[in-house]
Amino acid sequence: MVLLQRPHILLLLIGTHQFLQCWIAFGSVNEEGQKQAEFSEELLLKPLPDHKLLAHFHFQSSGPPSTSNGCHHHLFPKAISQLVQKFRIKEMELSFTKGRWNYESWGGFDPLSSSNAKPPGVELWAVFDVPQHHIDASWKNLTHTLSGLFCASINFLESTATYSTPEWSFPPASGNVRYGTLPCEAVCTENLTPWLKLLPCRDKAGIALLLDRPSLYRGFYHSQQLHLTSTGSSSEGIDSGIILEQTLTVVLQPNSEMAIEVHASEKHIQPSWSLSSIFGKQVSGRCVLAKPSSVYLLLDRGLSAANGLTSENFWSNPSFELSANPDRIFLEESSSHSKSLSILYMFQVEKYCESEPFDIGLMWKVPVAWLCQQTPLHASRFLMGSGNERAAIAISLKSTQFTEGFMSANSKDGSCELRVDVFQVVPWYVKVYFHSLRVFVDQQPRAVSDIIEKIHVSPSKDKMSPGVMEVVLKLPCRVNTAALTIEFDKGFLRIDEYLPDANQGFDIPSAIISFPNFHASMVFLEDDSLNKSPLLSKFQEKCPVMSYTEVLLVPLTTPDFSMPYNVITITCTVFALYFGSVLNVLQRSVAEEERFLKAKAAKKTGRLPLLLSKLSAKLRGRRLEPLHSPPSSSSFINSKLVLKVILVAGLAVGWQYFFS
Amino acid sequence: METFINPKSLFHLLLLPCLLLYSSIAYNSSPVEAAMHTNNWAVLVCTSRFWFNYRHMANTLSLYRTVKRLGIPDERIILMLADDMACNTRNKYPAQVFNNENHRLNLYGDNVEVDYRGYEVTVENFLRVLTGRHETAVPRSKRLLSDEGSHILLYMTGHGGDEFLKFQDSEELQSHDLADAVKQMKEKHRFKELLIMVDTCQAATLFNQSPGVLAIGSSMKGENSYSHHLDSDVGVSVVDRFTYYTLAFFERLNIYDNASLSSLFSSYNPSLLMSTAYYRKDLYKRRLEEVPVTNFFGSVMETIHTDAAYKALSRRNSGRFEDEMSLDQSVHHIKRRMLIKVNDGDEIHDINPEGEEGASKCPWSTFRKKFQKAENVDSLLNYGLVAMIPLLVISTWLVQ
Repeated sequence: MVLLQRPHILLLLIGTHQFLQCWIAFGSVNEEGQKQAEFSEELLLKPLPDHKLLAHFHFQSSGPPSTSNGCHHHLFPKAISQLVQKFRIKEMELSFTKGRWNYESWGGFDPLSSSNAKPPGVELWAVFDVPQHHIDASWKNLTHTLSGLFCASINFLESTATYSTPEWSFPPASGNVRYGTLPCEAVCTENLTPWLKLLPCRDKAGIALLLDRPSLYRGFYHSQQLHLTSTGSSSEGIDSGIILEQTLTVVLQPNSEMAIEVHASEKHIQPSWSLSSIFGKQVSGRCVLAKPSSVYLLLDRGLSAANGLTSENFWSNPSFELSANPDRIFLEESSSHSKSLSILYMFQVEKYCESEPFDIGLMWKVPVAWLCQQTPLHASRFLMGSGNERAAIAISLKSTQFTEGFMSANSKDGSCELRVDVFQVVPWYVKVYFHSLRVFVDQQPRAVSDIIEKIHVSPSKDKMSPGVMEVVLKLPCRVNTAALTIEFDKGFLRIDEYLPDANQGFDIPSAIISFPNFHASMVFLEDDSLNKSPLLSKFQEKCPVMSYTEVLLVPLTTPDFSMPYNVITITCTVFALYFGSVLNVLQRSVAEEERFLKAKAAKKTGRLPLLLSKLSAKLRGRRLEPLHSPPSSSSFINSKLVLKVILVAGLAVGWQYFFS
Repeated sequence: METFINPKSLFHLLLLPCLLLYSSIAYNSSPVEAAMHTNNWAVLVCTSRFWFNYRHMANTLSLYRTVKRLGIPDERIILMLADDMACNTRNKYPAQVFNNENHRLNLYGDNVEVDYRGYEVTVENFLRVLTGRHETAVPRSKRLLSDEGSHILLYMTGHGGDEFLKFQDSEELQSHDLADAVKQMKEKHRFKELLIMVDTCQAATLFNQSPGVLAIGSSMKGENSYSHHLDSDVGVSVVDRFTYYTLAFFERLNIYDNASLSSLFSSYNPSLLMSTAYYRKDLYKRRLEEVPVTNFFGSVMETIHTDAAYKALSRRNSGRFEDEMSLDQSVHHIKRRMLIKVNDGDEIHDINPEGEEGASKCPWSTFRKKFQKAENVDSLLNYGLVAMIPLLVISTWLVQ
């Protein structure tokens, strides 16, 4: 029986093995056909109402799953895929920002601002795919790795006192998320360089050629982001790769000289610009590895309405002139709540080459004024109180008239409510009293339970963890102003916990105000879905409207840092004087001292031994000289020398004269 | 069976001494291999915070640019900058740092990699970098991964005083801390040769206690180091004198130049520096005339010609070849030494242990040495006077 059974099993094994091999091979071929490493480069330009220009660079690389081609990397940066694999990152976002997004004039309701307006400094959040007790270790290692990769001190986020675990108010809500910010981190060229090195063409070709450092950092706002999404997790067995989005958003002031020349009389005309006048460079062809390589010019709803552009006459633009003809024009899908539509002009970089570089310019003919779409409530935050002991944080929300009509359109049967999420992290030395939370609606104090629907608080622990407050507010739609205040005590730090420039004050990171019922999205009518651009598909995603408040600077009591040294010095002196004199009194024997003095006096009288020792020292050379005589100045040596020479010469002459 | 075993054991017995011999040879040859200069590292530290210390960052970045130009790659440079000057809001030229008022050269080009910056530049981190005792999470780009074949350039600038250097205006690196770190590095075979270059007030005191290194400081004890010039557009001084003249020396060089360390050291003019550049070589084995500056400020390896590729035997040959090379170089250097001799008067020799040792060994040579030196005229005259007395006595005796 055994002998009979064995071949069967063998056959079965061989059969299944072959089948498996075929299946695996087929599967990999199929996957490779679907998922190739892809790279796209796009630039979006958008004129802003306050005579500025927004430039938004969007680079996206998608890496195929690691199982399909092992450790080989074509377009996707190896460093990033190793990072994802090592720390099992599901999603991560790192942003370096300089300056503050001006929500009032640059808007806050479009996908561009809600996903690219970031708090100043460094912001990092990550979602891990590891067991709960490993997350903190992964986070620590991730911060160190990122600090090495991007030349920044992100590793300060490793200590538990700096990062927090948002429960539900932070949009990528999940239990495994960690969130940390460094508001005072400097952002400069050294952060941009490694970021550019992740691109397959770096800044040597394609749209990234425009990234001229001095003109970028001269801008009003600069935000450089890195967003990672690992679409599959290995625990589920399906691994579909990593998507890396790199965006750079800058707000620049175009040189207005050209406009002044043309229309000297008109002051309110928008400055005309071109790529070469803003960046000082032109695009000489696309990065060969980029599949869609395109530049967009976006006229937002307000601007197109001000221009009188509608879906019928968008080809004729009476107020401005473009230096290049757009390849395509997209119109926004009409939505219920606004009459005007955004218009998108598309330019394909592929058509241009070294001899004929791409340089789009926009020349305004008549002055145009418009407003960007605002967030439902404009949020700002400030400090109250004075002195070094206690103060209060206030978050004020002000209704923007712009969206009032929109809100009323959204309301159903009278009971219209506006939901606002507030996420606030405070460092441990700002000791917040959560019971002192007060809410004002239209300048009237209201009961906390009326307005606050849900609250989650995790108090800070000294030197251990920061304080986190997550609040859901339900405000009536007709609200004009609302305010939250909370009191805090200023803590004391140890002397080694103060920063080198402690007198400047300590930062409280931005609060995040989000409106989960509102979604910013911009859907453009596209005739072919094949040639889909990642930037436009990103705009179509429904992202919640978010805004960041200002960073607060809290002055803490700073000691006189030289005080410990003074104390030590004085104490030491006092002790030395005391013990010295006591020892002196105890140890001194008068008779011994007198004998010593006598001996010394006897030594001094003998001149001959001194002379002899001097002579012997001179004969032996310079070595013993410093023991006897202090080094004398050169002028003195010279006079001595001359005297000696004269003496010897006189002696010789006398001798000769005497004997002759 | 025994007959089979016996030859085998005999063979083993014969093999054993052979192995021992081989191992001893290998052991002897291994230091030769270890002594080879295989790589270059640079640790460049700017320790000053605040805008008015712009010049310190410009100093460090100038050195960074120089060593990069002379061939040390970015991953072998640890750059520590205590503050952000390039994108400082006070900087009129964003993302640019200049070390000269002509603004011809942007030191903060497109390819700067800063490893430690801002609050990370502390004494602790500095000593961790030197001694290599990091946390496990610290990435490789922030570590000094040198070995026993490394030449390390350690450049520091900031505000300092007698035996200390201030970090961030809040803590100090003391000379014995530095000496301790250097000693640890020596013990751990983290370098073959180390050049410490310090541009600060009373710089000479900082490395007084460091063992086994070559060091150069911008000023002696009790002297200040001064800035070179003020840029009225930037609003602050942009470079220090010592670094300015160091750069002036290096700007003339390229990676193929053979200029020696002694020519660098003798290029400092105390009247231009307004301080006395002090160098310390008493613990350094090689002659400075034979050491090209690119040994520390660049990454130029000696090419060794071998006939057989990838063979262990070529080791000994290479050692011999190296000797020949050095002989060859010394011949080349004779000419340069002659030139240097001319400048000898300007050179400041503060420590001269050779002279002291030589006095007991060979009086004639010391006499000759002393003869050569202008400053020993006094003793020479004394010798002459003493020698005249017997002459006088003899001559009078003969006359009589």
